[in-house]
Amino acid sequence: MSDTAQLASDASSRDPSVGLRAVRALRMLVERLEALQVENAREQGWSWQEIAHCLEVSRQAVHKKYAGGRGLLRREK
Amino acid sequence: MFERFQQEARQAVVLAQENARQLRHHHIGTEHILLGLLAQPQSLSARVLDRHGLDHARAMQAVATLMPPQGGDDIDADALETIGIDLSAIKEKIEAAFGPGALDRPARPDRKGRLFGGRHIPFTPRAKKTLELSLREAIHLKHNHIADGHILLGVLREGEGLGARILAEADIDLTTLRQEIVTELG
Repeated sequence: MSDTAQLASDASSRDPSVGLRAVRALRMLVERLEALQVENAREQGWSWQEIAHCLEVSRQAVHKKYAGGRGLLRREK
Repeated sequence: MFERFQQEARQAVVLAQENARQLRHHHIGTEHILLGLLAQPQSLSARVLDRHGLDHARAMQAVATLMPPQGGDDIDADALETIGIDLSAIKEKIEAAFGPGALDRPARPDRKGRLFGGRHIPFTPRAKKTLELSLREAIHLKHNHIADGHILLGVLREGEGLGARILAEADIDLTTLRQEIVTELG
């Protein structure tokens, strides 16, 4: 166990600064994983709809986040 | 264009990316292309540069001095450990599927606003230009392939990037160097 982890379990697991730091790290991890997986899915020919379905978000949400919004007329690949 | 690249020239581009990753840089510039050439000690370009006293280790040091690592991208492994998540185990699995460094950088938007994952490090305009110039150098010399030597000529021709600056700061006479490469390329 690293020093920080040791410290956390020794001191108090209810220390907000420790807990919030973990949340932040987890969010970074999730963001990176999501980008990798979305990119991979697109490379394998998945539609935005299929990706959105798996992530349980709207097609618009995933498209907006990863396809780069360039107006309504922008053609989707 | 890349189909004309010979093995060592291709490898130089691959190694440029690897060196950028090692240096924790968010771009692949002419300096990384130079490092990619030097990382293959048997290549024509590395041999010529070695005669002028520049090897990979020295160039690496010069690049690191001119361009410090770009931080702020590390996922806080200690913080994850406090909630029982082993980041190294996750990294291992992800890298097995997506290649080394896949989780090392955040996804960034490209010029068109599309996000792309952290495994790609973008080339700078100068680095792209350098590779285009290597093709032009090859055509000019009536060679129908691009070897690592042509890439080094491209770095010299581009002239403004950190790659060329490192050569100049290593007290290498760039005109002489150019002639030597052309001679060796035959």
